[in-house]
Amino acid sequence: MIGMWLSPIGSVVRLEMKKTFFSKRGLWVYLVALAPVAVMFLHSMVSLANGEERRALAAAHPTSAAALQSIMPGMTVDEVLERAGEPFDRVDLGRRGVFRYTDGRDAYNVNFFNNQVARVTTRTRDTIAYDSTIFATVFQFFYLRLAIFFGCVGVFTNLFRGELLDKSLHYYLLTPLRREVLVIGKYIAGLTATTVIFCTGTVLQIWALSLHFEKSEIADFLNADGWSHIAAYVGVTAAACLGYGSVFLAAGLLFKNPIIPAASVEVWESLNIFLPATLKKVSVIYYLQSLCPIVAQPDENMNRFLKLMINAAEPVSAPVAIIGLFVVTGLVLLLSGRLARRLEINYSTD
Amino acid sequence: MSGAITFDNVSRFYGDVLGVNRVTLSIPPGITSLVGPNGSGKTTLMNLMTGLVRPTRGSIDVLGVSPQDPERLFKIVGYSTQFDSYPRGMTGFQFIQSYLRLFGMSANDAAAAAMRVIERVNLAEAANRKIAGYSKGMRQRIRLAQAIAHDPRVLVLDEPLNGLDPLVRSETIALFRAWAAEGRHVIVSSHVLHEVDSISDQVILLANGYVVAEGQIRGVRDEMREHPMQVVLRCTRANEMAARVFGADHVVEARLHADGGGLLIKTRDADKFYTMLNHIALDGFVIESVAPADDNVNSLYEYLIGGEEPTR
Amino acid sequence: MAVYKRTYTGYDGPLTPEWSRFLILPRANYRQLGQSKLLTILRMAAMFYPLGCIVWVYLANNLSVLSTVGFDVGQYIKVDTSLFLYFCWVQGAFAYIMTALVGPSLVSPDLVNNALPLYFARPFSRTEYVLGKLSVLGILLSTITWIPGLVVWIIQASLGGWDWTVANLWVAGSLFLGMTLWVLLLSLIALAVSAWVKWRIAAGALLLGIFVAGAGFGTAINQIVRTDYGSLVNLPEVMFTLWSQLFGLESTTGLPAEYAWATYVTVCAGCLWLLWRKVRAFEVVK
Repeated sequence: MIGMWLSPIGSVVRLEMKKTFFSKRGLWVYLVALAPVAVMFLHSMVSLANGEERRALAAAHPTSAAALQSIMPGMTVDEVLERAGEPFDRVDLGRRGVFRYTDGRDAYNVNFFNNQVARVTTRTRDTIAYDSTIFATVFQFFYLRLAIFFGCVGVFTNLFRGELLDKSLHYYLLTPLRREVLVIGKYIAGLTATTVIFCTGTVLQIWALSLHFEKSEIADFLNADGWSHIAAYVGVTAAACLGYGSVFLAAGLLFKNPIIPAASVEVWESLNIFLPATLKKVSVIYYLQSLCPIVAQPDENMNRFLKLMINAAEPVSAPVAIIGLFVVTGLVLLLSGRLARRLEINYSTD
Repeated sequence: MSGAITFDNVSRFYGDVLGVNRVTLSIPPGITSLVGPNGSGKTTLMNLMTGLVRPTRGSIDVLGVSPQDPERLFKIVGYSTQFDSYPRGMTGFQFIQSYLRLFGMSANDAAAAAMRVIERVNLAEAANRKIAGYSKGMRQRIRLAQAIAHDPRVLVLDEPLNGLDPLVRSETIALFRAWAAEGRHVIVSSHVLHEVDSISDQVILLANGYVVAEGQIRGVRDEMREHPMQVVLRCTRANEMAARVFGADHVVEARLHADGGGLLIKTRDADKFYTMLNHIALDGFVIESVAPADDNVNSLYEYLIGGEEPTR
Repeated sequence: MAVYKRTYTGYDGPLTPEWSRFLILPRANYRQLGQSKLLTILRMAAMFYPLGCIVWVYLANNLSVLSTVGFDVGQYIKVDTSLFLYFCWVQGAFAYIMTALVGPSLVSPDLVNNALPLYFARPFSRTEYVLGKLSVLGILLSTITWIPGLVVWIIQASLGGWDWTVANLWVAGSLFLGMTLWVLLLSLIALAVSAWVKWRIAAGALLLGIFVAGAGFGTAINQIVRTDYGSLVNLPEVMFTLWSQLFGLESTTGLPAEYAWATYVTVCAGCLWLLWRKVRAFEVVK
């Protein structure tokens, strides 16, 4: 029975893969998947340039981290100069003033008021731990909820609705294929395309973010829990494609204009935190956020609504999340199969 | 497996719009033509028998297979649709080969079968060109190739002669005849009446979603007793002839030809008319020819649906 | 005899004046839009906030009534520029949703059905076409943005007296300008997307993506690079910065107003360029 299905599924997948991977229409999916890579690459380059600049400044104005950390509020200008030496930059604003130091790694601003230290602000060099949190936030807020979400809307709704609009779906419906087989074939093709594109995006983001760290730091991170984190993010990306893919495949079969249900699903997923426990489980994001290795910590300045969006709602254990996701996906695919059985070719009304 | 395609009280509505209504048909092997003006329900009928649309009411049976069972149906049915759209970027060969692979054929078998069928529709030279660059006639032929590629027992062809040049058209008609001679069902829809008139074994006339007549063309004509039959008579003394025939109660109209060398007669009873004509001929009229003027699909159509003439 | 000599006579009735000819397009579109139940519901929903504002304005001007029944809420209920700023924010959101509904079907059907050559074969220019399509959204969105906004302002003016009216005339100007800027931006983006992406559904998705994914991407940039300039790709934040400036309030987006203006002008110019490329009487088929 399964053998009988495999060959036609393979044929459908082969045909669909060309369309999903190489069509001009799908180029935007690559753009959405790779846009954060560019930002993270930029961040690394800026960070590297800053590091170079700090090292050069520290060489010209040598001081030590210990000396800078010993500066306390209330000290006089002379005391500061005695401990930390000449700053690389002085800003004189009348009664106020700033001495700018660097030890080659971190940057320190010593703020004076009436020739006494008012406060010392430190801009530490980015650490892997900090960047991991940044990545977790961007991954959960932007990548999962928007990039993968909209990518899946584009790819999966196109599988049926796109062909109906192109008036080419009858090509499949004139073959001795079970409609369920067609659904599975198309789903596998869409899933393969989105998984490859977005998982590559995830890996490239992590790579781009790591560019400004030293090799030893990266090795330490990987030896600790780095590999498992990377694997988890790639897994969550694939799971997102799996879950959202099934939802939007069904939307493409069910609705003439799948954008309205897509927007509704986005709202539903965003309101997930407010939903009662039972309803929470009927969403993809609930399981995905439970699988993320780091709890995202939003920036203080972040919009309150956005903060809410990245807050995971009572996470479940990984096995439960994975099983839950598969169950949701399976149910939605089952529904898609039933919808496909009732699918009619009536191009004029689409 | 039954030997006919049957529609049992089938109706199909698109919302408030009628597709076909209360269609009961039995289509035997041979060439069957579906004739009717735009919107009469020809394509709907074809889509119904191939499962592309489902009946709102009634049931359909294609040689014992339900159209809702594509796994079995498309092993015996090939459908050349009117939809002139194809998967993007495919060549004619890829189009047929990938179609055949969906039937479970291996790559090599599908390639060989695809090439065979492409040659059969005279597209071998264009096989490796993209379909997007094909002319209308070539696209028609590649659709025909798709329909016959898996050697089906039932061929459903929606306007298959559209856009074909005369040579290819006659070759295609010859193909239809050959398939029909093998005992297959060839169901053809067309607006070009003289084509189906000459090739059809039977005809199904549709108007406004209803089947208005079905059967062999002559048989259908015979059933239309309430409609007068037209006969063209070329003879001498046409004026006198007109006066003589008009005296008979079954003759409802006699119209003189402009050249005065003949007349068109409308009669309700063909048998009585021909008997009467034999008697009149004995009275010294020279009758050059007697020919039925309306024993074709076109006139049948005019009888049946009045003003709604199909495109000629 | 040629057929036209027997049956054809040219139209010799009155012509629509040239200056208002573009309004033919909204007239035709509104007939179609009037049948959309979703749009009717949305238009009704978009009236709740202005009604709430009117009640607020009434209460703010009748605090004595409230204090007599024991509510001392004078410090909370007041009418100032922030009321109108948030009016812009809320009604602007409705305007966006309405644009996402109506916008995608404005130009794409004409392109798909090759209707543009038919338009331009008549005394109807490309500018008039774009103006006509812009006015479909422009008029529709005005009914839920600056028009109810000015109604709220007028009610406040009637209750606040002559001094308040004179002193806050600029607020009415800012409200009108701010909302018109938003309506223009939404309309131009919707038209450009509808012209560029022939597929109506894809155009809808792109419109959703430009605003929602753009906002997300902007926030992601801000998070990663620790900057505020990521908000430049977040069009609602760009607009909020402009509204804040127009109402004389400090923007919470962190974006300098001149950057926001530059972004606004660039986006509008880009949309006009796209429209200029796509809206023409012929199409280059490759």
